[in-house]
Amino acid sequence: MDVKKLLLIVILFAAVKAQAQSDSTKTDSLLLKKIQEEMQQPQAPAAQGHAGASANPDISVIGDFRTLYQSYGKHNFDAVLNEAEFSFQSVIDPYARADFFYSVSEDRLTGKFSGEVEEGYLTTLALPAHLQLKAGRFKQDLGRVNPVHPHALSFIDMPDAYVNFFGEEGLKGDGVSLSWLIPNPAFYQELTFEATDVAAESPGFERSATNNYLYLAHLKNFWDLSANSTLEFGLTGIRGENLNAKITTVGSFDLTYKWKPVRFNTYQSFTFQNEFYYSHAQQPTGLVNAIGYYSLMTVQVGKRTFLTGMYNYSNAPDSKAFVQQSGVLTLGWLATEFQKIELETKYTTMNTPMAEFNFEKNYSKVSLRWIFVIGSHGAHRY
Amino acid sequence: MKIRNIAILLAAIIIGNRSFATIHVVTTTQDTRSITEIIGGNKVSVFSIATGFQNPHFVDPKPSYIIKLSTADMYVTLGLDLEAGWSPSLLTSSRNVKIQKGNDAYVDASIGVPLMQVPSSINRAEGDIHAFGNPHYWLDPMNGKIIARNICNGLEKVSPENKDYFEANLKTFNETIDSKLKAWNAAMAPFKGTKIIAYHNEWVYFETRFSLHIVDFMEPKPGIPPTPSQLVKIMKEIKENNIKVIITSPYFSTSSSDVVSKQTGAKAIVMATSVGAFDSIKTYYDLFDYDIKQLTAALK
Repeated sequence: MDVKKLLLIVILFAAVKAQAQSDSTKTDSLLLKKIQEEMQQPQAPAAQGHAGASANPDISVIGDFRTLYQSYGKHNFDAVLNEAEFSFQSVIDPYARADFFYSVSEDRLTGKFSGEVEEGYLTTLALPAHLQLKAGRFKQDLGRVNPVHPHALSFIDMPDAYVNFFGEEGLKGDGVSLSWLIPNPAFYQELTFEATDVAAESPGFERSATNNYLYLAHLKNFWDLSANSTLEFGLTGIRGENLNAKITTVGSFDLTYKWKPVRFNTYQSFTFQNEFYYSHAQQPTGLVNAIGYYSLMTVQVGKRTFLTGMYNYSNAPDSKAFVQQSGVLTLGWLATEFQKIELETKYTTMNTPMAEFNFEKNYSKVSLRWIFVIGSHGAHRY
Repeated sequence: MKIRNIAILLAAIIIGNRSFATIHVVTTTQDTRSITEIIGGNKVSVFSIATGFQNPHFVDPKPSYIIKLSTADMYVTLGLDLEAGWSPSLLTSSRNVKIQKGNDAYVDASIGVPLMQVPSSINRAEGDIHAFGNPHYWLDPMNGKIIARNICNGLEKVSPENKDYFEANLKTFNETIDSKLKAWNAAMAPFKGTKIIAYHNEWVYFETRFSLHIVDFMEPKPGIPPTPSQLVKIMKEIKENNIKVIITSPYFSTSSSDVVSKQTGAKAIVMATSVGAFDSIKTYYDLFDYDIKQLTAALK
């Protein structure tokens, strides 16, 4: 059997076995004693007002409506329901939870909708040794942007380098993710290993016709600098098959500083976030070493108002000579936790004209995004 | 013989450690931290995620909290979806099966609390409505006794060998609340039925316990910041009802309360919603000492 396949099977088997240990018959002899102790416990009064509780998962629908203007092409003004995301989230049993996200999106050119399982995964809750396993289809643990659903970001257009290396949909795959909370009492450290098939179109990686899975390792470090400020530094390494059925290796780091006064955390905040990618790709023409990065600042200027500025620089994974740079300014207004409107302007310049942008070297884009949520949607990562 | 002695010694050490080991408890708020410390005494070490001057609805789920949760022996939540925006994701990431919902070391402090403002239907057009009822129940000291009972039950499950110790501390806590409640009721008695304005709908349990009457809120709907038309309405209500006090919380901006206060002459005071909101509030008892002192001084 293929060694890589064997590895996946071993990881899954070990996880299932470790969870099953919770039901070990070794504890049976203590059961009677436990029951007797339970019966002696003072009983809490009956819960009140919980009549609405049910075993149904948390269900939500998130609408992402956009209008946009771009300075190139004949069809340069548009309004689309960019995406409707349906989420179903719940614990499965005492050992695991499940999260499903089904996305229906509109093709701007045809106006037709198509749907896909954006994510659908199980997360264990009961593995020993501070381990956690995720299995299914999921957004991979790359940096700060990739694991987050777009509606939760403070900008509309994804960073250029991110799109050029991993695509609009980012890096997601079908497979397993094993993370370990490193027992470091000084600061938070989490080490993650993932093995997946690539599940979405990506300029940097492709779903292999053979057993060339995509492997990812991520080390997350997080410090509380003070009660009001935090620093996160992440390192990621990725290896997988590219569009030419050869191997691409990506090294990446992310650095994020956040300031949010605890007392007035709903009124003021500041975020400085950066991600850098280095791609080492085997191409038919030889090795291509390309880079890309973005740097952004988000300032909360009022209880409901956010201002984000971003600078982008990017090569392409198959061309170091290609250089794309852009500046982005986004103004966001949150009506409530369940509705926000963002207005964004972006100016892009490239050294090589591309058909995708009507062979314009410089272009601008103005976007308006309206995000609205109904139902109960789980919290996003910090 | 030597091996047998070593085995006995090791067993004694293990049993000894179990009896005297500190129980590490993580609570979502400072109020449950204080009560856990009172009930758990020297058997517990307690860490609270939220500070006392922080809005408990909006706590950032920082990864650093996961370190505390990963090794916790017990978790205490206020429940009723108050911490829905941050508690579930932290628990999932903790990798600590003991403290997951449904297990012995997961303590929902709201169990058995007589809830108020339980909606018959949920409609977000009415603002931030809580499906299970108003979750600010710890602001009635009598509910503190129910919280303490729930925490005591949790501690006894986690550390059954210390049951008598916890029960004794619970008895002392209940007696202290009963005793202090007499003093608090006496201080508030002259103001029975007094009309006041509040910033956010989080005082209904306090209002009911001490027979106050909250006429309206600065927020037009829960979670919606004050609007000019709401402020005009509030000013009219203050004048019509001769209202003397506007109460707000440490984590809300005082700008709109100050405007109304300036226009109407009503005093705007910042009340404590949790232990630790101000330096002098060290315990659950101090919370009511502080609030009643502030309120009675403003109403005189």
